[in-house]
Amino acid sequence: MSEKISLDEIKKMAQLSKLSFSQEELEQFFVDINSVVSHFDKLNQLDLSDVSPTSHISWSQPPSNPDEPREWPGRQEVFAHAPQVIDSYFIVPKVVDKQEE
Amino acid sequence: MNIADLRHYSIEEYKKAYRSKEFTPTAVTRVFFDRIRELEGDIHAFLAIDEEGAMKRARELEEKKISDTDFPPLYGIPIAVKDNICVKGLQATCGSRILRNFVAPYDATVVEKLKKAGVIILGKTNMDEFAMGSSTENSGYGPTRNPLDRERVPGGSSGGSAACVAALEAPLSLGSDTGGSVRQPAAFCGIVGLRPTYGRVSRYGLVSFASSLDQIGPLTRTVDDCITLFEVISGQDERDSTCAPYPPFSRNDIPKDEEIPKIRIGIPNEYFTPGVDPAISGRIREVIDLLVNKGFPVINVSLPHTDFGLESYYIVALAEASSNLARYDGVLYGFRKEGSFTLQEMYTRTRTEGFGKEVLRRIVLGTYSLSSGYYDEYYLKGMKVRTLVRKDFEASFQNCDLLLTPVTPCLPFRFGERSRDPYQMYLADVFTIPSAMAGIPGISLNCGYQDHLPIGLQILSAPFAEGKLLGFARYLEKLLSIPLPFPEKMPRKESL
Repeated sequence: MSEKISLDEIKKMAQLSKLSFSQEELEQFFVDINSVVSHFDKLNQLDLSDVSPTSHISWSQPPSNPDEPREWPGRQEVFAHAPQVIDSYFIVPKVVDKQEE
Repeated sequence: MNIADLRHYSIEEYKKAYRSKEFTPTAVTRVFFDRIRELEGDIHAFLAIDEEGAMKRARELEEKKISDTDFPPLYGIPIAVKDNICVKGLQATCGSRILRNFVAPYDATVVEKLKKAGVIILGKTNMDEFAMGSSTENSGYGPTRNPLDRERVPGGSSGGSAACVAALEAPLSLGSDTGGSVRQPAAFCGIVGLRPTYGRVSRYGLVSFASSLDQIGPLTRTVDDCITLFEVISGQDERDSTCAPYPPFSRNDIPKDEEIPKIRIGIPNEYFTPGVDPAISGRIREVIDLLVNKGFPVINVSLPHTDFGLESYYIVALAEASSNLARYDGVLYGFRKEGSFTLQEMYTRTRTEGFGKEVLRRIVLGTYSLSSGYYDEYYLKGMKVRTLVRKDFEASFQNCDLLLTPVTPCLPFRFGERSRDPYQMYLADVFTIPSAMAGIPGISLNCGYQDHLPIGLQILSAPFAEGKLLGFARYLEKLLSIPLPFPEKMPRKESL
């Protein structure tokens, strides 16, 4: 099997999607993902030069709503779900890391 | 009569029994919870059961004074809801550990409509994590077993919703269908499952997997129950801009009985390839012969890009999924991995630990097909092939009204049989994917058994032609008179 995606690319995709894998997991993903991607090449059999893409299906112009503010009644419930909250602030770990500067 | 027989009633029969005061919603609801207690240890169709809420609701419904003529369409009817559809106050985990503590703060539009129509919600059903799978084996909370053969999968991703209806743990349920996730499990469990036209049912409150494909659909034991449930949940919603601005489906859209035999049936060659289990293609050919004998105009049609549907679907769906799943970051809700020093580290550790293997794989693949340098190679190509698949259907509906195909190329498979090779698992949806890409409606109907395993027949129609689709399905259901699956008679295997 010719590998379309290299191990380094999988590592990069994982980084981009905020995931991290052990070497062993990476190697398994390498096999699985390449097996799936190899099937994608089938699309190269088609001449797509004059075909327009379909990103979504819409049967009519989407209707628009009046631009009026509305109260969201579930504010408290929404905060109740957060892992860490102080007053009406979501608490997260340090945003700026020296190593990332 | 035996009170347990109540489990077999149709919606109309429940309502008749309520009107004549033969039974109350409380009695019926209790019968289903008894059944759930009896079978759940074995089937595991539910991720959450709300007995207290359901019994309270049943009593409230009974206390309301309702005139005989003014019965809400689903008055006192118990229903199970897939765990990616929000029901206020109940969990919505989507089968994922990353949402294990998440309780929905609001009702999905469909749930609002169901409640207004008088339903009693029994609980939330098991599913492949974020609806990514075809067997329910990818649930973060353990698989569901097929009530008809407990060594086999119930299909997926709405496996819990299909299994609970087939096992008589609920008379109806809601699922969601992105590439076949209502129709395929309905086929594997021998019941009815409808994927409506894209935009016919609001997605507000349905947790997104691939937004351009996701649709909520009913799973029921009979076509008539499906019609009633679809009438209730369909229609425009100002909170979902992809919801089509058309009136809800109505039973009046169904052609009159004498019009049904004039419906032109198309048989797409590409759905009867050697890869299809001969038991399935053979049985469907028998049904086609029966229709020819009944005088239906039956023609052969070709959907030449069918063979490319699966690949383009996985490109498109995974690209959308990788983007939709970016929201699970441990900040606003759901699981957070504690003990991280920086925000970036918290994101990464939360997501890596919170998602299951198939979801991780799909996020990486989706990110790849959207990334710079590969966008044209994959995502753009996927969208272009989607256009071709859609045009195939448009052309075929110039010559016929409905298409008849198998739902799946295979009978329900055993646990573990396909989970090692992701592509083998994807193939289980090969016949439900193209219509999902085109946004057209499709229904899965039990058309017979191979030994004890059900065979699903798929009927597809042009967009918004659910009237013809359901009218024909109801006619065919009557014509075939296939007995409903009855789990007591099915082999019971304890090992998994």
